[in-house]
Amino acid sequence: MGHFTPLLISLNSLAAGVFLLSAFGLLATRQMQGCVRFFRIQSLAVVASIFLIAIEMQVSDLIAVGLVDLAIKPVLIPWLLRRYVREELFRRREIEQVFNIPSSLIVALALTLTAYFLAAPLPVAAGAIGEINLPVGVAGLLLGTYTLAARREAVTQLIGIFAIENGSLLAGIAIAPRLPLVAEMAFPFDMLIIALVIGILTRITHERVGTTEVGALKSLREQGAAK
Amino acid sequence: MSLLVIVSLPLLAAIISWLPLGRQVAPIATLAACVTAAILALTDAMAVAAGGQVWAVRNWVELDGLGALILLLVATVATTAALFSWGYMAREREARHLRRYYANFNLFVFAMLAVPVLVEPAVVWTAVELTTIFGVYLVAFENTPEAVEAAWKYSVLTIMGGAMSLLGFIILFRATRFGAAPFTWSGLIVLAPKVPLNVLTSAFFLILVGFGAKVGLVPLHTWLPDAHSQAPSPVCALLSGVKTTLVLYVILRLLPILNATGRIDVDRWAIVVGLVSVGIAAFLILQVTDYKRLFAFSTVEHMGIILTAAGLGGAAAHYGAVYQILNHALTKSFCFFAAGTALLTVDTRQIAEVRGLIRTSPAAGAALLFGGIAIAGAPPLAVFLSEFSILRSGIQQEHYFATALLAAFVIVAFFGILGHLNRMVFGPAALKADQAVPVRLPMTCLLTLVLAGIPIVVLGIYMPAPLHRLLQMAAQGLAS
Amino acid sequence: MVRSIGFNLLQVLFVVGLAPLVSGVLLRLKEIVQSRRGPSIFQPYRDLRKLFNKDEVVSEHASWIFRFTPYVVFVAPIFVATLIPVLTSYPLFFAFMGDMLGGGFVLALGGFFATLAAVDTANPYGPMGASRTRMVGFLAEPVFMIVFFTVSFVAGSTIPYIVQKHWLDLPEFFAPSHLLLVIAFLMLILAEAGRIPVDNPTGHFELAMIDESKSLEYSGTGMALMKWGGQMKLLVLICILLNVLVTPWGLAAGQSLVEVLVAAPLVGVKILVFILVLVCIESSLAKLRLFRVSEFLGTAFITSVVAMITGVLRF
Repeated sequence: MGHFTPLLISLNSLAAGVFLLSAFGLLATRQMQGCVRFFRIQSLAVVASIFLIAIEMQVSDLIAVGLVDLAIKPVLIPWLLRRYVREELFRRREIEQVFNIPSSLIVALALTLTAYFLAAPLPVAAGAIGEINLPVGVAGLLLGTYTLAARREAVTQLIGIFAIENGSLLAGIAIAPRLPLVAEMAFPFDMLIIALVIGILTRITHERVGTTEVGALKSLREQGAAK
Repeated sequence: MSLLVIVSLPLLAAIISWLPLGRQVAPIATLAACVTAAILALTDAMAVAAGGQVWAVRNWVELDGLGALILLLVATVATTAALFSWGYMAREREARHLRRYYANFNLFVFAMLAVPVLVEPAVVWTAVELTTIFGVYLVAFENTPEAVEAAWKYSVLTIMGGAMSLLGFIILFRATRFGAAPFTWSGLIVLAPKVPLNVLTSAFFLILVGFGAKVGLVPLHTWLPDAHSQAPSPVCALLSGVKTTLVLYVILRLLPILNATGRIDVDRWAIVVGLVSVGIAAFLILQVTDYKRLFAFSTVEHMGIILTAAGLGGAAAHYGAVYQILNHALTKSFCFFAAGTALLTVDTRQIAEVRGLIRTSPAAGAALLFGGIAIAGAPPLAVFLSEFSILRSGIQQEHYFATALLAAFVIVAFFGILGHLNRMVFGPAALKADQAVPVRLPMTCLLTLVLAGIPIVVLGIYMPAPLHRLLQMAAQGLAS
Repeated sequence: MVRSIGFNLLQVLFVVGLAPLVSGVLLRLKEIVQSRRGPSIFQPYRDLRKLFNKDEVVSEHASWIFRFTPYVVFVAPIFVATLIPVLTSYPLFFAFMGDMLGGGFVLALGGFFATLAAVDTANPYGPMGASRTRMVGFLAEPVFMIVFFTVSFVAGSTIPYIVQKHWLDLPEFFAPSHLLLVIAFLMLILAEAGRIPVDNPTGHFELAMIDESKSLEYSGTGMALMKWGGQMKLLVLICILLNVLVTPWGLAAGQSLVEVLVAAPLVGVKILVFILVLVCIESSLAKLRLFRVSEFLGTAFITSVVAMITGVLRF
């Protein structure tokens, strides 16, 4: 596969670029649907990177992992969310957030810079093709954490968690492409279960608490504790 | 082989609980599974303490000293919690909810039992994530708005922690590139000297932050008081007593690996993080208004104490750390059983609304008082001995400043807990007491209180030799 | 040298002549997507011819700026067209007269005069539109700057002809910074040329106009020059995007006249592809409310800065 390598490296760079863009998109969008859409794009970018690294490093396990990821993340998880979270929550166009969008984007910029410097000392096992996965993956992790913290809506917080896992996976396949199959398979299934549980929890929250603006829930505090 | 049986028993009980076979089948099946698992765990632990090797699948399912201790604790607390649930949850009218509770309970116990027997770090991560996920339904079980809010904060923060630590575990796998040892805890200790430092430190920090959120280390502890107070009491006992300990166990497994490199002083970090948690928790205890939250903050404090003890270094401090793990698990579960009994009696969680409990319900009052004294660390009970041994080893290791801080925080917490409990248990009978119909406490609850209380008293005076050997082997697991 | 000047003139004629066609095709395709038939693609030429034959009516409050501006708006894009690669991939005679930054300033000059003219007439809608145009303009300036700086840093030069060669080899082409630059510049085109989602180019409602308001008061020759100048500005920006930033495919590499003439339809095909993309964007988005425009351009700014970071740090 030697003479395909530059092409594979380039395509992997493209996938990483799309990943980074969708991580920013998660922060820049106002709509719930937009969040889910960007999550789908991000997952597809991760799957593409998995396949490219699998071809380049000739690790067949990773192809299986990529297929499972392809089935679960862009397809099953949005379907689960639609099924268990009520339709009306998706039709809502505005998401409440702590900072306004331009400020969030500037914070995101700072986080991307931090990610580059954090990822510098980390080792890459996948060779030249994996070099770009590390900073972009760590950036995705940090941006996902920020999405989690800055958004108040239940579904977007969940998507923030998935963004963190996407970032971890993207960096992870470059660091350890030969992780045992059992462990690699566990990750997407874990995400599936999380989606299921949180989806149901969101619906229950909506029923009991009356709103899914979970960031604004503050009844459990020392001073103003209700019974 | 016995390890696989231990882990699969609760699975079986979960399936049985799910089937609509009547109200009493689920609790009995759960209890039977937990008791059997506890007995098997005890045999395995004794085998390990005697120096034997217990394993089921080489390099995947093995048991060493530290793992044996944790397994034994999980099984024991699960048994007492199952016994307590029998009486406590009997109030639940709908059989379907009850069955779902027990099914989830068993799945939760299954995941918790899996963590100490697995030695491959990546599947350990999966098991810990499973414990988190199975706990969500249990925390939200009461279905009040507060319980649901608590469940939401719990799930988001802990799952986020898990997602962050994922990268840490993958980086840890990278270490196997540098030697010939398998990807297990002990294998990593062997590999550690040859691995580049940045690999291990970055993995450590990611896992510390991620799993630290799951343990409830400050500053990511905000979900813990909510979740551990809103859940039903037997679940709180499991959560506080063993689940947080389990996650801390995973963090503690990393300390010897990093120490084995000989190039980094990770103990200092452990002491700092531990002391911050102890300090903040101690001061938060002073201003608590809900007695279940009181015990939850005490959990944060004890997790900090254990982490600090592990960081103090040296065989004596490590022994103190595992001794504290043992005592905390037993005592904290007892505290929550007592809190559950009190809740059955007075039907309120607010400290301000409960007065003169000893008059309203002698059993609940005595239990609460006993539990509070025990967890605060008063002699001659178990927790006092372990905390004392930690402080003594700290002075022996010449970490004077850290030990002094630790002692100060523990004293602050001591007075906080006792102050609150004193007002609750003694004093003139409260307003609620007049209209309170004397509640007949379920027999199983009282039985659990007695059964759980005995070890606390016994361990304060006498340490059985096999247990001592087990603790020593567990302490070796912390040393590199 | 004569050949070089000749090609440069050819390039300018290409831009001047093709601009109304681009506008016509764009409008026609948009209408077709909306299930209508739409006007003929040569309609803008007929409009221009009609306008050139009409009388001009000038307000008595207007000053010399009002009469001068249409010429500035017409000439500015022509000037920029001599600087950028339109048909050839090697520098032509006037190529070193100004670099990308200079080109950007000249385009801004046209916009500046258009704004002044809009304020000049004492029509109430003129200044309103002018202030909005300035707001969009000043929010878009940082994006311009960062894009140009990044491109110059990555390619090692500020002359468009030299910059375009940088993206020829594949790893550079697929680098994340390239993708982000293209997207940032695309958002910039939408803002500067007054397309949806920033502004509605076919709208007639004066209160909501941003870019269209600059030609509200004009009639006859002035109107024709303003319209033509606007169309040329769009084409020039498209050429910068396609030929400098995306890829130099289709440009003539040799020195013969035939090659350059063959390059013209090839570049035309590229422009057509871009028009299709533009039609998709315009048909699927709605016009943003005015205060959301700052978010849109903020996102473009962040995209360009991330492009700069990934490009400079060599991710």
